[in-house]
Amino acid sequence: MKNRFKKVLSLALAGVMSVSMLAGCGKGDSADGSASKSGKDSVKIGVLVADVSGEEAIGFRNYYEKYIQENYDVTFDYTDALESAEDEKSAIEKFASKGYDAIISLSSSDRAQQIETCEEYGVYYAIASGVLDEEQYETYKGYEHFVGQIGPSNETEFEAGKAMGEHFKSQGVSKVAIYGAFIPNPMHVYRAAGVIAGLGDTYGGTDDMNGMIGQIFGDQAIDLSKIEGDVEVVAYLQGYGDTTTDELNAAIQKAPDAFLSVGMATTFFAQTLSQNDIQFADIDSFTEMNLDSMTNGTLTYLAGKYSSSIGPVFALVMNAVNGNVIRDNDGNAVSLSQGYLVATDVDSFNQYYVTDNGDTPIYDKESLDSIIGDSVTFENIKTLVESK
Amino acid sequence: MSKGNKLKNSQMLIAILPIVALIVLFIVFCTVVQMNEYRLDMYLKIVFNEAVVLAVVATGAIFIYTLGTFDISLGASTLFAATLGVTVYNKTESLVLMILVLFLAGIVCSLFNSILASIFNIPAFVTTVAMMSVLSAIASQIITTDGGALGGISIPSSVVEPYTGVGFKILLLGLYFGICYFIFQHTKTGRRMKYIGGNPLCAGLTGIKANKYTIIAFVMAGIGVGLGAFLTLTYTPSVTTQTASSIGMNIFIAIVFGGMPISGGPRSKIYAALVGGFSYMLLNDILEILIDSSAAYGITQVISAVFFLAVVYVTSMNYRSQMLPR
Amino acid sequence: MSTPKRIIHTLAIPVLVAVVLELLCLTQGQNIITNAKSFDNFVVYTAIVMITTMALSINLNSGRFDFSLGSMAALSSVIGAQITYSLMAGQKGSSFVMLIITLIVGVVLGLISGGIYVILRLPPIITSLGVTLIYEGILYTLTSGKYVMKTVQNNSMSAFVSTWVYAFIIITVVLIFMIVVFEKTTFGYDYLALKSGQKVAINTGIKEVKNALICYGICGGLMGIVGFLNAARNTTINGGQLNFGSIAIMFTAFLPMFIGGYIGGYCNEKVGYLLAAVCMSLLNSTFAVFSNQVTASTQSIINAVLLVVFLIYLNNNNLIKRLFRP
Repeated sequence: MKNRFKKVLSLALAGVMSVSMLAGCGKGDSADGSASKSGKDSVKIGVLVADVSGEEAIGFRNYYEKYIQENYDVTFDYTDALESAEDEKSAIEKFASKGYDAIISLSSSDRAQQIETCEEYGVYYAIASGVLDEEQYETYKGYEHFVGQIGPSNETEFEAGKAMGEHFKSQGVSKVAIYGAFIPNPMHVYRAAGVIAGLGDTYGGTDDMNGMIGQIFGDQAIDLSKIEGDVEVVAYLQGYGDTTTDELNAAIQKAPDAFLSVGMATTFFAQTLSQNDIQFADIDSFTEMNLDSMTNGTLTYLAGKYSSSIGPVFALVMNAVNGNVIRDNDGNAVSLSQGYLVATDVDSFNQYYVTDNGDTPIYDKESLDSIIGDSVTFENIKTLVESK
Repeated sequence: MSKGNKLKNSQMLIAILPIVALIVLFIVFCTVVQMNEYRLDMYLKIVFNEAVVLAVVATGAIFIYTLGTFDISLGASTLFAATLGVTVYNKTESLVLMILVLFLAGIVCSLFNSILASIFNIPAFVTTVAMMSVLSAIASQIITTDGGALGGISIPSSVVEPYTGVGFKILLLGLYFGICYFIFQHTKTGRRMKYIGGNPLCAGLTGIKANKYTIIAFVMAGIGVGLGAFLTLTYTPSVTTQTASSIGMNIFIAIVFGGMPISGGPRSKIYAALVGGFSYMLLNDILEILIDSSAAYGITQVISAVFFLAVVYVTSMNYRSQMLPR
Repeated sequence: MSTPKRIIHTLAIPVLVAVVLELLCLTQGQNIITNAKSFDNFVVYTAIVMITTMALSINLNSGRFDFSLGSMAALSSVIGAQITYSLMAGQKGSSFVMLIITLIVGVVLGLISGGIYVILRLPPIITSLGVTLIYEGILYTLTSGKYVMKTVQNNSMSAFVSTWVYAFIIITVVLIFMIVVFEKTTFGYDYLALKSGQKVAINTGIKEVKNALICYGICGGLMGIVGFLNAARNTTINGGQLNFGSIAIMFTAFLPMFIGGYIGGYCNEKVGYLLAAVCMSLLNSTFAVFSNQVTASTQSIINAVLLVVFLIYLNNNNLIKRLFRP
């Protein structure tokens, strides 16, 4: 008994020693980092993420870690998939205590809390995916450390969905299935409402954006009984869980002319839909996997952003960290909307994919350099964003 | 030294091992943070905020675990209580009412579990599994309906601003722990709970009504849930569908890490959750700082799990039996 | 009880469930199973539920609580998918190779889990907590927390679940295997003896450690098959299931396990699990029919309520009968 106890105690002590040694290793790394900082500080940016799997999320990450990090004296530190407001706050606090200069957010459990926490710790904050609603923007636009948001506005999301619906209506589809992704996530609600409007249908008797999204938020889903119009929506599913596969199969059995998704279908359903020869559409990103779905599968419509579309947000943050906190003409945090690009065949997809791939992103070093600097103004940023 | 004394000493050493582990982890944590030139004051606050809700809810749960059963729904109860609390505040703008609802919701959820378990004779772990699903689903329904475009529900941060300080939270934790300690260590109720957990048959034969103590245990856990929900809101005044989601399972880890046997009974320790909760969070944060790679979160979890098993193995050395434990 | 009575009791629940659910679907102008495709899905899902339930019951019936089932399924399928893809690059026959590799990896993971249990001699609930965290951590490290798609999305995998035949073969093989191994072998007799009286069984010379290891090995193998079927059915595997994100699969098997146990009172227990899995699969298909009206939250609530109501009936059977006796 005693011997065994001794043995175990020695093991435990060895464990503690190992942890201490690891701590030593940590110091070594840090010392190197600090040495480089003593010359000219490398900018450290924490990135809050909720999705680590989606094609869009992977594209964004590759752009920051493989292109921006190579070309600028900056380090990106990604969180794990954040699930709640507490996770987000804790992540920001950890970044702040590590002396990070800024936070870029791709996570939206509680944006208000994120901004307030960054303000409290004096860390610059920017939104790269999704935008604040009007009320929230009004509340936080004057915060000192909130540098801004650049991404599709809610109206743009609605228009993206609408364009998808219109495209398929013009193709002559008579019945479709819709995947609402993660409704009530606002961007998915706006997109889904847009799809219905684009198909020429009404939801609860209206095709007005605000009228539709108000009802969808209330219903927490698309209620098929509320859809009226020429194009029949034969099936609707949302989320991803135990019954998703059954729901997808039930939808396929209704033989829709097209499967219209407002996000993540390329991740979850590409194989099954292609196998069943059902053409599908999605709002995502121009990535290799999606190119494969368009080339070899049945993806026929993709509204997407460039993976480098988050470049201007990086520029905003860099400027702020370097002392040039850019404000709009009213002196508020920057808020710019970005549109979607649409590919309906391999050629058009390739056009966007190839031009935004690897070492030659749309927002390459040259174009970003034009909006990073002490003399850069809001107009410079706005002009560049609107030109792409 | 006699053989008996040696055994006693080694038993004592093992008994204090969780506390020693906490102290060692704390020292290593401070060292690691300092060496990396991070802000120690901020990092300590982060660890405290991460651990305090777990410690509070798990301390209440000790009463249930002492009886030899367990409740897997406490995380969902915390989410449910916080959801109702926020909803009530937004309707009434009364902080007092919100706090009342937080505790009431926690206690009612717990009581419901105990009634199902003791009156309908359903194994407590099964009722709590069912309750976990029901409470999370109801809370999600409320959050997504009321939260709308924001994806979550919240109260103004100014409402809880006066209660966000670490000092206030320590006071609350101390107060709750003090009450639990007193009941657990110095009252007939605590002693009888340990008796029931250790030998329910004998306890029953001596006239102790297990049902009564099951209900008391679940009520104590319910109070912990209410307090945990309040502390959650003081950290982030918003509730999303994933709020407190990890608490349910982390309670197991905290209690066992703190040196208490999962089977409950006379070897139960009221301080186990407090010690274990803080140890586990410190360990996770140490590893998170040390391991820097894209797979860091996975590696961190593997190492902390191995460490967890090692600590439990050492602390339970005195209680090995010939047969495989169940 | 006479044979016809046994048959009636055995089939009562599945038939009742099928009739009630079919009537519900008819109110929507639909059927539970509408065509050959939905029948394929129905059989595949039945296989998944039956095998998970059997895996859960092996250890739970022996008083060993095992949280690691979900993590074993996910990890074995990811390893199986990666090895298969590196060998065959998604070519013809990939699915069969992956099934075999996943099964073997599952057995190995089960044996590791069992090995940790018998070496550490800690309560299985504790070791399974540690094992779950370790497997989830490895899963995350292998996948960087992402959904695994490329390695499981190929025609061979799709073809495997696009017909009921393979799933039916798996059901038959697993059912026969489980009946033979647990009811017709020395291992099975020892298992039953240990289940009913651990101490007496050990005193008669039964090797408990060996028996436990085989149980864990079989359990792992079964979860490997589940992991494979889930990967083929969903065309993805979620690699980011940290902090007990994988344990939900275990809770979904509770209801079929209790229903199966009840039906097993009138026929072979394993056949009971199959019939319970059929009931759950019918319910799942009905949820799919009502997916536009019944949200995921409501489905959770329905499942939980069914579990509680069934257990209330099961544990208060005699009392209920007395109440309704004239």
